[in-house]
Amino acid sequence: MYSIVSTAIIYGIRSIPVFVEADVSGGLPTFEMVGFLASEVKESKERVRTALKNSGFVIPPKRITVNFTPANIRKSGSGFDLPIAVAVLAALGEIKIKNLDHIFLIGEVGLDGRLQPVSGILPMAAEAKERGITKCIVPLQNRAEAMLVSDVKVYGADTIQTVVKILNGERLPEQTEAYNIEETAPTVRDFSEIKGQPAVRRACETAVSGMHNILFIGPPGAGKTMIAERIPTILPPLSREEQIEISKIYSVKGMFKNGCGLLRERPFRAPHHTISVQGLAGGGSVPRPGEISLAHKGVLFLDELAEFKKETLEILRQPMEDGKISIVRVGGSCEYPADFMLAAAMNPCKCGYYPDENKCTCSRTSVRKYMQKISGPLLDRMDLCVEAKQIRFEDLQKSCEGEEKEESSAVIRERVERTRAIQEYRYRKETFSCNSQIPSSRILEFCALDEKQEAYMGRMYEKLGLTARSYHKILKVARTLADMEESERIELRHLTEAVCFRSVDRTFWEGRG
Amino acid sequence: MNYSYWLSNIPGIGIRSRNRLIAAAGTAQEVYGMTEKQILAVGGITRKQAGRIAESRNWDYETPFEKMMERGILFVSREDAAFPEKLRNIPDAPYSLYYKGSLPGKKKTAAIVGARMCSPYGHTVAHKIGRIFAESGTAVVSGMADGIDADGHWGALAGGGETYAVLGCGVDVCYPAANRELAQQIACHGGILSEYPPGTRPAAPLFPARNRIISGLSDLIVVVEAKKRSGSLITADYALEQGKDIYAVPGRLYDQLSEGCNGLIRQGAGMISDLEEFRAELALCGIGGRNTQELQKLSLEKDEKLVYSCLSLQPKGIEEIMAETGFSVPDAAKALVGLMQKDLISESGKNKYIRQIE
Repeated sequence: MYSIVSTAIIYGIRSIPVFVEADVSGGLPTFEMVGFLASEVKESKERVRTALKNSGFVIPPKRITVNFTPANIRKSGSGFDLPIAVAVLAALGEIKIKNLDHIFLIGEVGLDGRLQPVSGILPMAAEAKERGITKCIVPLQNRAEAMLVSDVKVYGADTIQTVVKILNGERLPEQTEAYNIEETAPTVRDFSEIKGQPAVRRACETAVSGMHNILFIGPPGAGKTMIAERIPTILPPLSREEQIEISKIYSVKGMFKNGCGLLRERPFRAPHHTISVQGLAGGGSVPRPGEISLAHKGVLFLDELAEFKKETLEILRQPMEDGKISIVRVGGSCEYPADFMLAAAMNPCKCGYYPDENKCTCSRTSVRKYMQKISGPLLDRMDLCVEAKQIRFEDLQKSCEGEEKEESSAVIRERVERTRAIQEYRYRKETFSCNSQIPSSRILEFCALDEKQEAYMGRMYEKLGLTARSYHKILKVARTLADMEESERIELRHLTEAVCFRSVDRTFWEGRG
Repeated sequence: MNYSYWLSNIPGIGIRSRNRLIAAAGTAQEVYGMTEKQILAVGGITRKQAGRIAESRNWDYETPFEKMMERGILFVSREDAAFPEKLRNIPDAPYSLYYKGSLPGKKKTAAIVGARMCSPYGHTVAHKIGRIFAESGTAVVSGMADGIDADGHWGALAGGGETYAVLGCGVDVCYPAANRELAQQIACHGGILSEYPPGTRPAAPLFPARNRIISGLSDLIVVVEAKKRSGSLITADYALEQGKDIYAVPGRLYDQLSEGCNGLIRQGAGMISDLEEFRAELALCGIGGRNTQELQKLSLEKDEKLVYSCLSLQPKGIEEIMAETGFSVPDAAKALVGLMQKDLISESGKNKYIRQIE
């Protein structure tokens, strides 16, 4: 007898439908599986056979053939156990074949017949819905995740026997809602915890308002990390589409937190500087998303920027321009979204105190080498750069008295949202939505200067030895500063502030102005 | 065959042995003609060294010498008239020099020395003093190291003057490598000198020895910033021994980079407390710096004046400036960038500003 079951595999963050066919016929007793299988799928044969036996089903000594279509895609992952088991049982007549119509199955099984959770449920369920599937049967632990897709009936099963009962239409106790759609607990971090440092706060707000990349430079203990951690709290809230997109990435990576619903908070990823190229960009023989994709729509924070390996940082350049990364491997090529805001922090030198000659113990060569670790092109891509200084004692004391409380994240976020709205309205007919994304061909249109300002910037260009890219960055930041004041035109004060926060000059480290 | 070149390139024969041989024989050619017995009769020459001298007579010295000349590296020994007069009579005077460009002639020379890791203040002052020397027709001598040395050279070049670098390695070895552009400039507007043969790698013991040549070549030396126990003080010691004038730029108490300079002043070195006075003291022609009256003529805005007044020659961060003036970020930024544009201040580190002299 012949049966067919519908399931899927993950490719990038997309899901591709896969069908598992089974046929039982006379002949020498064998159990064969064909269809471009990875080794973990080949192993599935033994798991399924034993699991079926231990679940009380008898496999007769017949010729059993299992095929996976389409045959040109490599099948990997552990989620095929359940579809194989169900296809075989249907072919053996344990399940009515017509009951398998419009049903999506996924799950790993143990030798005792119990189901184990798999990753990537969310994109698979979403894709299944699009091709007309009405019911999904998933491991119980994955039920909450699958239920995020509306209009699909989701069953969570704990064993193969339960799956068979569901498919044979037996009445089961009604399953309760697996999660509550309550808001997740608000973050404990807040900008009001940052004392003083007005210039740094201002730079952060500017960066977030226009989605500019930002670099903090300062001695150890100046609170660079603390500030960066609070950047997500002033980013505007995620839209529903963004929530789904991010949740899919986390689902594929197997990092989906059960029982929380969609991810509601902007991601903040702070990989350690020992991270490998694959860890950051994504990769592996079967591609998996890396940190830059996990930071999609959020903040990627690289602390101790100079300690990262040079080649690791170099790969950031393309995703920073394109907002996505393409990975090509033997196991296939795929594309992951990677539209993040980069925040980075570094010490000015090895000991951290340059240019304070009384404290700095580095030699001139070591200071220069420290800076050279970061490639010029990457520095060029930092729109804003600000010095994070040791916090002043008076500012530290402020908190204790509780009188002059610093601005909270909520207040800043409100302003950021207003600035973003201005940008969205201006770029409503464009493919981009933020000031930082203005392509260089359109700069003159959106960041127009009057004659006086042009002459001024011309002089600064010469004086500061700017490059075309760094000049454009200054204009874009000035545009954001103007938007923050709801000013239609860029004024001189916006330009001067943007110049002040421009990315670092190599010359600071050369010892020669 | 160039006998001086031969004598300068016998392995195992150092500066002192070479000077002894010359003192005994008179010229390198005479040394070449000496028998082993005669050589051993010269005090302080070991049997091993005598053996080396005998052995080296069989070696080819002409090909490397010609090759060196082809590469634009010149050679001069005490036996040549071109050898700098000032170097002939210092203790442990070098017997020969390799150089690129030219040698300092009879005109006045001054050395500018100081710390490699100097402060932005030191860097400005060294540049300025280098320039003053250049504008008065004095050649600047230094060691082409990072920091003060390099700034002194650059200052002299900016003033359109001559400048000479004395290295502790071969003249074809650019150390530190980052000063390549400076080395080229110096070779065009002065010269690069060394007593070590081309190809000698930089090594720690060679540097203090070259300091005696820096001070020897100079009529006076200026120490801009120096920590206690630094190479710059070694140069000052040599200068003292050689009877040269020493000047030092004073600094603040507790400032490690000024401990050396302040120490020199206490010992009686000339103090450079005012650049214009210094210029006059040298009986040099004066070209005015920026004084307060000029500053007023520049029509600074009120905000800029306020910000300028709270800056000094020590770097100050933007947040400190904001705290002192009570300005918001945009206002402070506007004043700072405005002042930068007028060349009144410069940014010495990210968001760290200092006053600019000149």
